[in-house]
Amino acid sequence: MPATSRTYWLTTPCRLRRQDDSIRVERDGHPPTFLPIEDVRDIIAAAEVDLNTSMMSLLNKHRIQIHILGYYGDYAGSFLPAETAVSGTVALNQMRLASDDEHALPIARALIDNAAFNIRWVIDRKLLTRSYGVLKESIAEATTREQLMAAEGNFRRNAWEALDTKLPDWLQLDGRSRRPPRNAGNAVISYINGILYARILSALRLTPLHTGIAFLHATMQRHRHSLALDLAEVFKPLFAERILIRLANRRQLKPQHFDINTNQAMLSESGRKLIVQTVRDDLAETVKHRTLGRNVSYDELIYLDALALTRTCLEGSTYAPFRVWW
Amino acid sequence: MYTILVYDTATERNAAVLRTCRKYLRHQQRSVFEGELSTAQMHRLRTELEQRIDRAYDHILVYTFPPGTDPRRQSWGRPDDQPHDIL
Repeated sequence: MPATSRTYWLTTPCRLRRQDDSIRVERDGHPPTFLPIEDVRDIIAAAEVDLNTSMMSLLNKHRIQIHILGYYGDYAGSFLPAETAVSGTVALNQMRLASDDEHALPIARALIDNAAFNIRWVIDRKLLTRSYGVLKESIAEATTREQLMAAEGNFRRNAWEALDTKLPDWLQLDGRSRRPPRNAGNAVISYINGILYARILSALRLTPLHTGIAFLHATMQRHRHSLALDLAEVFKPLFAERILIRLANRRQLKPQHFDINTNQAMLSESGRKLIVQTVRDDLAETVKHRTLGRNVSYDELIYLDALALTRTCLEGSTYAPFRVWW
Repeated sequence: MYTILVYDTATERNAAVLRTCRKYLRHQQRSVFEGELSTAQMHRLRTELEQRIDRAYDHILVYTFPPGTDPRRQSWGRPDDQPHDIL
């Protein structure tokens, strides 16, 4: 990924307009802001955004994607530039692998295994040791994607319960709920997952992979980018659960960061800002990569995983999904 | 590389220079821009600017910092510390 351009985040309602072949952002109560078009890699709009045709052709010209998150922070859609990097050879190989259980199941199994490993690392090693053991057994026996997903569901339920023991009462999840999230904890998780999905999609669009063909999730189900969902499995815990626990422990999350109604909750504007800022800083955090022998950011880890998957489709190398090593 | 650009041009060309710089860098104040540029972007910016200025009269100063380093920055008076990539 080009290191010189960055992701821009919109957390207040704004209008994007084209001016002098660059972007002008208009917000209520602020003077207009100009974004250097050359500096924009992609835009994540986490608030109401108003776009027009000339803006879109500008985005298209500079190959900038804009991802839009809905009212509850769930992924609502993207504007993707017309030009894609998708290559026929890779896409065909990807399809061959995905449609053949002999190749797809090991990938799906590795995704679930490593996702669970990461969840356990983030939440609590001890509390989840038993569930992780059970999961390993059941995925070894599973012969279909549905069985794999079911095993993962069981593990997730235990993980949510374990997570609740780490959180103060008012942030507890009390079971996962989405669209709308029922409580504050769920609102945070949904929100971060939405952002992450968008980031992964951006990374996948840079590779020749087809985003609709997946190994674990049903391919092209409801025309979603299923492959992004696959990759999200292993990265979600590193961001969503981890950030929730950390913000709760540091008492950074406060009730005023939420708009809570009966049976539904969402982040308020200040809450959205806090989460976006935290995710942005976490994406820039670096770890020493063992095989590359240099520091890579979490953001780059996502891209490296997308590349590894490309290599699997092109050269048939074994795909080892991201697993926390530090 | 981190770049700081300062221009001193005749009034009638100011607007054109400002518009060009805006595509590449963040406008800090009056004639000062800063931001991150790749070598390729720097070349493009230079070509675009050289078409717009009178090389006998105008002057543009560009400071760059080695890759991986940021200049230490102080701001006196009304601060401007908003993160620029979160709006």
